[in-house]
Amino acid sequence: MRRKKLSILTCYVMLMTFLLCGVPAWGQTTSQPTTSTQASPAPAMSSGLAVKDASPPSADQMAKGDPSGTLTGTVNDVPVSNPKVGLTLGDAVNQIGQNKVAINFVWTLVTGFLVMFMQAGFALVETGLCRAKNANHTMMMNFMVYGFGLFAYWVCGFALQMGGVGAVANLGGTAPLSGEFSLNLAGKAWGLFGTHGFFLTQGGTYDVAVMVLFLFQMVFMDTAATIVTGAAAERWKFAAFAVSSVFLAAITYPLFANWAWGGGWLAALGTNFGLGHGYCDFAGSGVVHAVGGLSALAVSIIIGARIGKYNRDGSSNAIPGHDITMVLLGCFILAFGWFGFNPGSTLGASGNGALRIGSIAVNTMLAGATGSFGAIFYMWVRYGKPDASMSGNGLLAGLVAITAPSGFVNTISAAIIGLVAGLLVCLSVEYIDRVAHIDDPVGAISVHGAGGLWGVISVGLFADGTSNYGGSWNGVNGSVTGLFYGDPGQLVAQLMGVATLLGCIFALSYVLNVLVDYFIGQRVSPQAELEGLDIPEMGALGYPEFVLKMQASGMAGAGA
Amino acid sequence: MKFMGLLLTVGGWLLPVAGLTWTSSLAVRLILCLIGIAVTLTGILGFLNPAYLKDAVWKK
Repeated sequence: MRRKKLSILTCYVMLMTFLLCGVPAWGQTTSQPTTSTQASPAPAMSSGLAVKDASPPSADQMAKGDPSGTLTGTVNDVPVSNPKVGLTLGDAVNQIGQNKVAINFVWTLVTGFLVMFMQAGFALVETGLCRAKNANHTMMMNFMVYGFGLFAYWVCGFALQMGGVGAVANLGGTAPLSGEFSLNLAGKAWGLFGTHGFFLTQGGTYDVAVMVLFLFQMVFMDTAATIVTGAAAERWKFAAFAVSSVFLAAITYPLFANWAWGGGWLAALGTNFGLGHGYCDFAGSGVVHAVGGLSALAVSIIIGARIGKYNRDGSSNAIPGHDITMVLLGCFILAFGWFGFNPGSTLGASGNGALRIGSIAVNTMLAGATGSFGAIFYMWVRYGKPDASMSGNGLLAGLVAITAPSGFVNTISAAIIGLVAGLLVCLSVEYIDRVAHIDDPVGAISVHGAGGLWGVISVGLFADGTSNYGGSWNGVNGSVTGLFYGDPGQLVAQLMGVATLLGCIFALSYVLNVLVDYFIGQRVSPQAELEGLDIPEMGALGYPEFVLKMQASGMAGAGA
Repeated sequence: MKFMGLLLTVGGWLLPVAGLTWTSSLAVRLILCLIGIAVTLTGILGFLNPAYLKDAVWKK
């Protein structure tokens, strides 16, 4: 009996010992670190996959139709590189990569189409703010700036701007864009302009990714070019406009755009001189709007004010536009197109932080809305009425200002940026008109010039350091951060951009337009201006069935 | 006056650019930027624009 009890006890102890020692072993997963010799080797890319395990639908099932969509888009749609082997891991991984690039291609192209449609918005805004006798001419400038700008940009503008941008990861590489002309000064490389991509052929740029990038960048350039037509409206010779637009598309815009986006020296302020992440301009407050606005300033100074705008004592006369409904409709079209402008600047919806597109779009909406609030509040308090055209300009100013910081700020900052822009545009319009005596029929200098510069500065103030577009920006690791979130260097980089816009880009635009004035003449004759540019410049009235005020009264007046 | 305005405009840009190579102090670079911007604006609005306003159509 005693022996039996000992045996049972021994077996019990042995069993418990086994269990207690075994549990840790059982509790361990198969992911116990092992040496490389012990780990299972990764499957070869050429290894076949068991397609049947993915349960693809049969031909009989597909023949019956697929109303729910659950049978469409399966393993059967993955291309097989070697039919003898069948679907391999390499095939599947390649398809994943192509899907990412395809998503980004579609995103960039569709947003580019939206930006192209903004041309219609600009045309409506500018024509509505001009007098009816100039409607055909103003519309035609906005219509043809698309063609003139596109041609010049295709010939050389894109190459100068993006010829050396290097690989754009979201678009699958853009490897041919590898030529950047740089000067070596003070031990640093100062990128000045690109050298690949003339006629979208030279330098191996007949490339699918380059085509996508070209379309997207071209519509941005055209936005800058069309801004000038508003400031010089009602007295600009069509021929002078054409040549001036070609200069902007071919030289002025691409130069600054290269410095900011094409791998040039402004973007390299971070890597070269430790100034934050270098000049940062997410979608172009500086590159597009300030370039356009300051070019408009140069042309307006050269061309002078419209007849009847100012009295001998310098006091200003209001010359109202002929169709405010057209103006506000144009503003809405612009606001819609801006959903392509800012969110599209991620150049993708997959990878490298591109999922921030929703945040960027909301920032855009908010800044536009608060911009209109700022303007309407200012006008209502100052003049007793909420002015429609300034409300529209306030919306546009907010949108312009948020363009640079849209990818780097939160919604509260976006609202503040827009509100300040709305107030700023009103102050700027008054200064430009009444103090500087520069005639700007549509407020382009204030909306795009002043608003654009404010947008550039806002990045240096409000960037909150939460964005992550692949772990770095302009070659500097980390997120773009402004002064209010701890990086004063970013503000200095932005101010360098402001100084460059004012001191270099304005000066270049001024010199080029002085040449246009010398060889062609910028301004129409006084007789043509008083008659309205539709007949003298375009040969046809914009509204041939309507009797214009000056014809009805029998007077050739400045205000009609 | 136009030439002076153009000179000030470009000079106001070159000042902070050159300053990048003169100093690594963030404060000095910031001050040079602000001075440069002020000089360019003076060149544009204080010299260049008034030069054209002398012959403005509304003064004739």
